[in-house]
Amino acid sequence: MTPSIEYYCPCLAASPHPPPPHLPSSTYSFHPLHNLFFCEECDAVRCNRCVMVEVSGYYCPNCLFEVPSASVRAEKNRCARNCFHCPNCRNTLTVVPSDPPDDGDARMSPIVSSTLGEPPFFLYCNHCRWDSAEVGITFEKPTGLAAQLQKFEDSAPESLEFERLKEHFEPFLRASSSSSSALHSAAAHHVHTNPITAAASSALARDIPGVGKYNPLSRSRAGRDKHAHKNDIPDYKSRVEVASAGINAGGGEADVDFMCRLETMSEVAALEQRWVSSWVASLHSSDLKPLRIPLQSKKSKRCPSCRHILIKPEQKAQSVRYKIKLVAANYLPAISVSLPHAQAAVEMMKRSTALNKSAAATTVDEHGASAGALLAGKTYSFHLAFTNPLYDPIQVRLKKAQMMQAPGADGDKTRRPPFQVNLPSSPFPVAAFAEAWEYEDDEEVMFGLEEDEGDLDGMGRQQRDGRSKTRTLGVVEKRANVTVVGGEVILTKEARGRVKFNMLVSYTYRSDDPDGAEENVTGTPSRSHASSKAPELKNFSFYTVVDLGLIVPREESRIDPDI
Amino acid sequence: MPPIRDKFTIHSKAVVCQDVELKGDITIGAGTIVHPKATIFAIAGPIVIGSGCIIEEGAIIVNRRKEVMRIGDDNLFEIGCRVESPSIGSFNTVSARARVHHTVRISSHCVIGAACLVVPVDDEILDEYTVIYGPAAERRVWSGRGRVQEADLRRKHAEYLREMLPKFNRLRRGDGA
Ligand SMILES: [Zn+2]
Ligand SMILES: [Zn+2]
Ligand SMILES: [Zn+2]
Ligand SMILES: [Zn+2]
Repeated sequence: MTPSIEYYCPCLAASPHPPPPHLPSSTYSFHPLHNLFFCEECDAVRCNRCVMVEVSGYYCPNCLFEVPSASVRAEKNRCARNCFHCPNCRNTLTVVPSDPPDDGDARMSPIVSSTLGEPPFFLYCNHCRWDSAEVGITFEKPTGLAAQLQKFEDSAPESLEFERLKEHFEPFLRASSSSSSALHSAAAHHVHTNPITAAASSALARDIPGVGKYNPLSRSRAGRDKHAHKNDIPDYKSRVEVASAGINAGGGEADVDFMCRLETMSEVAALEQRWVSSWVASLHSSDLKPLRIPLQSKKSKRCPSCRHILIKPEQKAQSVRYKIKLVAANYLPAISVSLPHAQAAVEMMKRSTALNKSAAATTVDEHGASAGALLAGKTYSFHLAFTNPLYDPIQVRLKKAQMMQAPGADGDKTRRPPFQVNLPSSPFPVAAFAEAWEYEDDEEVMFGLEEDEGDLDGMGRQQRDGRSKTRTLGVVEKRANVTVVGGEVILTKEARGRVKFNMLVSYTYRSDDPDGAEENVTGTPSRSHASSKAPELKNFSFYTVVDLGLIVPREESRIDPDI
Repeated sequence: MPPIRDKFTIHSKAVVCQDVELKGDITIGAGTIVHPKATIFAIAGPIVIGSGCIIEEGAIIVNRRKEVMRIGDDNLFEIGCRVESPSIGSFNTVSARARVHHTVRISSHCVIGAACLVVPVDDEILDEYTVIYGPAAERRVWSGRGRVQEADLRRKHAEYLREMLPKFNRLRRGDGA
């Protein structure tokens, strides 16, 4: 496990402080930098949990046709061109003509000129060699297959029934959306009056192929007769009685019978094969139909508070670029964490295994693992590398967020926190981002480390006055737009669990728009080049969680004699 | 085991590139194509390859048994596959990086999918039109629809290679020539 760092998104929370990192639930508030967005308007980090997502376009992943939203509904969210999935292996199918009549001696026939083949056409899987003629689907022409298949889909009894259901509830939904308050009292157990929630709940209640069916119909009907709905929707009469009509809708005697007579596994369609179809699919693998390929969508995301767009893809399905892209990586410094002693151990291990491959590789492994581990009762230094994405230099200041409570310290007041973290207390600079060729070759400087005497971090704990201790804190290395600083972690003897702590990172940068200062008090770190106007210094802070890894308990504590 | 005696019988209409590894008693039929960097090892018994087969780069064909390993006509052995079947019929496709163990005999019109491992412990004969595919080497039986067109395509493929390969590669001749 390499050490990691993640960034906090407050998600419009009331408190600006992040949750304590030892709580399992805290992981939902922290994200890798590359998953975060940045709203210039609000001057805040946004994550995928809080942004508003909207569809900016639909397309077929196979033919990359952009489907207008009006057709999406009519075509039932699937490609209406010649794109099909193999129902057996989910590869894409190709349209092929039938073989010419076999002369029975194919091997001897000379090479036939041009192309062979004649109608009828059928869909053919190049991967598993399934073909649609196996299930009796062939076409006179190799075009417009999707329309023909959709006609088939739409005439399925389930589909017709669903259409009728929609029709039946249409007036109810319309009424409920217009006067939802009036209906609240009407159906006591029916709180979903909003058509969207209604649709969602019906989607959740959808039958899952292969999973046992719970049919509350008979019971609820009896109940309904007694306390008749106060609103006046007429009772829905299904077109056909599902159980009796012999629809291969799964369940029932027919399926039981089929399963009893089963001879080979392949006669049963696997769950994955049935899961992707729109309607309840038959249990027989011989009934599998080609599937029109489901459409996919491109999405844009908005800031939940000011509704400005944070990311918006280009419309064209072929394009992988964005029209708008406000990602946090362009605004916040990228931080990476490393443990120098673990890296050294890995190096050692590599070298020694290279030297004597055969000689007890396992012991080397063991040695390497323990050498790179965090042992309770020891002190380790760690490195934080800051990479500046801005075109201006920044000043960074670090602060440990709060005292770590011992995990599982159930009321044990005497228990000390399992570890103590020391961070460099004085601010340090990170040079501006520049294209690679703009850097001087010999800019790489190793620093002798800065004076960091009297580091308290407001934790009321006196720093150890040993000269060697302070040496691990402060700037370790500067190169291009990267500055590496060292921190240290002191593990108590009885420490266990993960070394995980919250860290507040503040940085000052030069603001672009000193004029707009009155409306935009904090300003926004922007990647664009600074204007010629007088630079104004702004500040931005964000929380992170640093995870240095698992603590290896000491030998003594492992064989604890008492209890 | 006695040392392997090399004996190559290559039909004059076959195209066998110079840069192939051949060992043992090998017979290659008319119109069969062996790409450079292919390997054919007749370790224990001879290997007899029929006509119109295509053996691509990096393909390895091995006979570990005493009996003659017979490979029929119009088979395609794709890049990097390894086949040790004691007998192979006609019109089979062994896809790229597939491996077929010496316990499996292949009949005709079979397809071994890309990277499929066919390594049963007990001896087995693949029925005609068997298709093996996917990461779990699942099996099914092909209806055979499209087989005439596929055979036609295979011949065109071989025809093209017979024309193009000699332009860019030195060819190997049999011992007799
Ligand atoms: Zn968020
Ligand atoms: Zn499509
Ligand atoms: Zn398939
Ligand atoms: Zn905003």
